[in-house]
Amino acid sequence: MKQSAVAAAAPMIAATDLWRVFDLGETRVEALRGVTLEISAGERVAIMGHSGSGKSTLMNVLGCLDRPTRGSYRLEGREVAELAPDDAAEIRNRRIGFVFQSFNLIPRMSAIENVELPLFYGDVPLQDQGVRARAALERVGLQKRAGHMPNQLSGGEQQRVAIARALVARPPLILADEPTGNLDTRTSEEIMKLFAELNDELGVTVVLVTHEPEVAAHARRVLTFRDGRLVGDEKR
Amino acid sequence: MKVLRLAVVTAVRALRRNKLRSGLTILGVVIGVAAVIAMAGLGLGASEAVQQQIRSLGNNMLFVHPGSKTDSGVRSGAGSVSTLTTQDADAIAAEVNGVAAVTYVRREVAQLVYANGNWSTLVQGVTPAYQEIASAVVARGAFFGEREERAALRVAVLGATVVDELFRGGEDPIGATVRIRQVPFRIIGVLEARGRTAWGTDQDDVVLIPFATAERRVMGTPLPGRVELILVSALDDDGIGEVERGIERVLRDRHRIRAGEEDDFSVGTLDEIAETARGTTRIMATVLFGVSSISLLVGGIGIMNILLVSVTERTREIGIRVALGAKRRHIRTQFLVESVVLSSIGGAIGVVVGLALTVLLSRLGGWPAYLSPGASVGAVAFSAGVGVFFGFYPAHKASRLDPIVALRYE
Repeated sequence: MKQSAVAAAAPMIAATDLWRVFDLGETRVEALRGVTLEISAGERVAIMGHSGSGKSTLMNVLGCLDRPTRGSYRLEGREVAELAPDDAAEIRNRRIGFVFQSFNLIPRMSAIENVELPLFYGDVPLQDQGVRARAALERVGLQKRAGHMPNQLSGGEQQRVAIARALVARPPLILADEPTGNLDTRTSEEIMKLFAELNDELGVTVVLVTHEPEVAAHARRVLTFRDGRLVGDEKR
Repeated sequence: MKVLRLAVVTAVRALRRNKLRSGLTILGVVIGVAAVIAMAGLGLGASEAVQQQIRSLGNNMLFVHPGSKTDSGVRSGAGSVSTLTTQDADAIAAEVNGVAAVTYVRREVAQLVYANGNWSTLVQGVTPAYQEIASAVVARGAFFGEREERAALRVAVLGATVVDELFRGGEDPIGATVRIRQVPFRIIGVLEARGRTAWGTDQDDVVLIPFATAERRVMGTPLPGRVELILVSALDDDGIGEVERGIERVLRDRHRIRAGEEDDFSVGTLDEIAETARGTTRIMATVLFGVSSISLLVGGIGIMNILLVSVTERTREIGIRVALGAKRRHIRTQFLVESVVLSSIGGAIGVVVGLALTVLLSRLGGWPAYLSPGASVGAVAFSAGVGVFFGFYPAHKASRLDPIVALRYE
């Protein structure tokens, strides 16, 4: 009870003075230099910045794929900056959905098998996996493509499968890293609408990284990064 | 169970991606397992064949060999001057209880001449009792008897190899005259072929002549009555120990060996030879097993090699899986199951091939096929173990990949 009360009150993401330093032997690269930000549940946020601004590093840290060198990162009120690999895996599995620029579907696995994967790792009973994966594919409008292999799908369709995969475990947070980077303008528009719908209808917090202003225009809040620092926070 | 089935299905799908590569990897294990089973079968079959051969010589046989003779403190080597005589043999026959028959042997290698051909072989002078004691079977003609022995007649019985070598034209040897060290002998019989012993000695490369004839007409003798070997058959198997002790007692008495002094002869039984042979064949079987195990090991290294390649190829896939929440054990299990599937398929095929090979080898070698169930079960279990062992490092390596690096891998 207490835990859920804290979770409800706490922001979805609360990062305090996050540093990420890569030690490359002779040189040290400071990808994040003291980032402090808060994102509430249900927000739709775009993170903008030029390449090398640290936005991708931030996404990796926020997605528990990478650990900050210093600083605190609380996800739904829980400190996750120092998690062991398997605990981080569990957080990614249950609390976060990922969408990547290059779709990252596993080749030679059908659309529905790709969507089932997070449920498999989440120990969801096998008979439920198919049902939930089918529902997720239906949500992105691809129920008719369930048996197709990724290479039989267009880029837009592959990204929809990836979104269904991000949704299927019902995480409260979806992180998308340049989700439209490999898509044409019209398809990008459709994908962005889909994110907006998910945010509006399911209340999923959506954080996406982009460098295209047209994509960022779909967000309600835009965070701008430069040289590893948060330099702009604009609400619309 | 369902999760395991899913893991196996996933593994099979991954392995089918590159059928040739998986097939060759499996082949490595097939060869290893088949080699282990065939070699185990070969070793045990050969060992069984040796035992049978020894049994066929007669279970109840004892050998008395001359030992070293000590003369004024000078010890000669064993057999350098024979300490055994025909009188010793007669005494054993007369005084030891439980003895069925006794014979004695003098043997030397000598040149045989027939027509244009000649052949060097082992000439053995034996008494007629030899035929029964040594289970020598006459294929054609007859063995010599007491009459020929007493009269020291120049008659001979030939082994099959000698017949083949001397009578190349296929003439009938019976009745032919063959000269042994220039002395003409009439051939009265041919022995049935016995083949080689387990030690490779050709048992058919032999000529048997009466002992008296050998001593007086072929080998000559400075000391009449000396023999190189006394063969004794016991009435039954169980009495063999008693006969052995009886022989020792009679010979020590006759040779005037005082208590505490060493025997100047040695008594052996086929049991001892059989035991030695068992030990030898056991070592042989172990060596064969060891050598074939190495091929299984090589098969395992093949699996490891392929899995390492597979892990590298699928780095990105591993990154995706980890990003979606796969824990280390999930990734490890995935590759371990692939490894075990590879090695188990190889093991199963290997057992079939190995058993077929065992039957084939035993047919070629002419000994009983020994299909070892222990070796089969062991080989399959071992191959699965090989899968786990050699799969573990690549699987562990896969599970340790940094997801960010793996996701960026092209």
